[in-house]
Amino acid sequence: MNSPLLIVDGVSKNFGDIAALSDVSIQLNKGEIVGLVGGNGAGKTTLLRLLCGVYRPTNGSVRFVDDGENKPVDEVRGRLGVVPESTGLYSRLTAWENIRYHTRIHGRDDEKSWNRTHRFAKSLDIVDELHRPTRGFSRGMRQKIALIRAIAHGPDLLLLDEPTAGLDVTSARKVRDLVRQLGDDGGTVIYSTHMLSEAQRICDRIIILHNGTVRADGSPNELLQMTSTIDLEDAYVSLTSDVARSNPIDKESTVSSILLGIFSRKNRTNDRGEDE
Amino acid sequence: MNRPQVVWTVTTKELLDFVRDWRTLAAMLLVPLILFPIIFVAVPMFLQGEAEELGEYSVSVHLVIDQDADMPNELLDLLNSSSVIVESVEANFDRNISLSNHSTFREDASLSIRNGVLDAVLLLRTGSGNATENWEYVIFSDSTDELSREARTRLLNQIDIWEDEIIDTTLSQNQLQRDDVYDPVTWDGTVGDADIATTGEQAAFTFALFVPFIISLWTATSAVQPSIDLTAGERERGTLEALLTTPIARSDLMWGKWLAVAIIASASVLLQLVGLFVAIRFLAAGILTPPTVSIVGWILFVVTILLFAIFVVAVEMAMAMRARSVKEAGSTLGPMVILFIGPALFAQFVNMENIEAWWFIAPIFNICLGMRASLLGDVSYIHAILWMGSSLLYALVATGWASRQFNREDLVESIS
Repeated sequence: MNSPLLIVDGVSKNFGDIAALSDVSIQLNKGEIVGLVGGNGAGKTTLLRLLCGVYRPTNGSVRFVDDGENKPVDEVRGRLGVVPESTGLYSRLTAWENIRYHTRIHGRDDEKSWNRTHRFAKSLDIVDELHRPTRGFSRGMRQKIALIRAIAHGPDLLLLDEPTAGLDVTSARKVRDLVRQLGDDGGTVIYSTHMLSEAQRICDRIIILHNGTVRADGSPNELLQMTSTIDLEDAYVSLTSDVARSNPIDKESTVSSILLGIFSRKNRTNDRGEDE
Repeated sequence: MNRPQVVWTVTTKELLDFVRDWRTLAAMLLVPLILFPIIFVAVPMFLQGEAEELGEYSVSVHLVIDQDADMPNELLDLLNSSSVIVESVEANFDRNISLSNHSTFREDASLSIRNGVLDAVLLLRTGSGNATENWEYVIFSDSTDELSREARTRLLNQIDIWEDEIIDTTLSQNQLQRDDVYDPVTWDGTVGDADIATTGEQAAFTFALFVPFIISLWTATSAVQPSIDLTAGERERGTLEALLTTPIARSDLMWGKWLAVAIIASASVLLQLVGLFVAIRFLAAGILTPPTVSIVGWILFVVTILLFAIFVVAVEMAMAMRARSVKEAGSTLGPMVILFIGPALFAQFVNMENIEAWWFIAPIFNICLGMRASLLGDVSYIHAILWMGSSLLYALVATGWASRQFNREDLVESIS
């Protein structure tokens, strides 16, 4: 359970003069579901793009551990599954054709891909939509198809960028249940979200990212102990507000930090029924 | 999965996506198929129909004739037979002023024609000369009015016939034959029979003047829309990011997309050639002669188009990939097509006799001149090597440049 799968070592990423990430070091272990939490502009999407090799780090390295050997992400992209923020579905192709395109690139057999797709579509209640063009799909349907596309080839590591954004309550729960199921089956997941309550429900570990730096990394209980607070919202504000206060122009971060907590305040119980 | 399979997977997906869009399908495949039939058949038929329609109208003409002259009944009969309604009036012309400078008549004619009362006014007076009859005339008409133009044409045609009759009468009175006067030096036989070029070769010569231009023009323009859609479009729609997270190499992605656009552009050009063939062979049979081109000529022609397609598609894809949005790509590639069209247009007029070798290295010119030489069957080995080699070089440089664009890190960024 604790053997490392992905090692991010001192990674910085600059876009011109803008530092999107600064000296980020994290380790991801096999079988973990890790929540990547942060406000808008915290660097979540940039980090996910670095993890899947879309971006190259300005400094530092991202390595995938395979049989005790460190490999650059470019060599192991076939073992990743990614749901980007934009879902990225071709509107003139059917949902299945979208999924099949990616599984074929991953070198998977169509029949096996179809069987896996059908199974996941069933659990997300979207089987009937598989043979429809994705034009006109709701945001929720698109998210579900993008999730199936990311897992249809059987990845070792799943990177999800705001996978429940725009979903209704029932659909969001189904997506979370599926992700949790993948985790229980031994899969490793990085789950980017700006909602603490969601991260709290399904993640074993939460990484708080703020202004391009890692502010905290630990289980929900460890974050509470670290900040001597009684709920994660307070912990989050405590971990991120110092910088916001020290930087007078970063009012947006303070506001977003406060807004983030609103969603999690009312919920102290995660999806597994465990009290926090 | 090996690289060719990955490339083919990308290509087939892009083609599937393409055929699902009926508007693009119609623009890329249907239009080129019917373009030449329209040019060769529909346009002449349309023009003929319009001319016939105009010919059914009667036109009203005022004949203003010198009061001292006898009414030319032969001319009146001819005008009546061509649906020209003539109302004649007599007038006194000043002999010292040319007919067209008679301002009073000119102003009256202008008013009547502009008001639609008349379509034209014919001024006629006797002239001086040794023929049996001598006349001077002028026609006032409005060149911007269709019926007035038609009236002028009919008047000129009938006056020509009338003039011929006067000439024949004058000649016969002087015991002369028309050919003795007008055609003392004659071509003996049929002019066409003396041309050592076959009708097929003549057709090939004519085709060589415009087909390379149209083909290169269509190749350049047909690749624009799919190039943008498959690069800047995919980037803007957010589908590219998901694709870049897969194990596909960016160069394979570029080749897959390039192949798809090349197939679409080639299919478009091929259909244009099919349309041309159908137009010549069936629709305009008897009017147009099929060009005679050797097998080698056709092979060179097709290979040249393919090399050009490789070059154009790679350049357009690279340009589109550099753009940060579909709008930006469109505003870049639109004017850029002119860079292709300009040389293609000029290449039609380049003299092929003793042509300098560098023409076959100059971008775009080399392709168009290569196509012309292939159709004319006038291919020198040196020229062929130059245009093929330079085209291949340009194609390789262009694909290398396109490949570099696909390796840009900001590929997933979009301003929209």
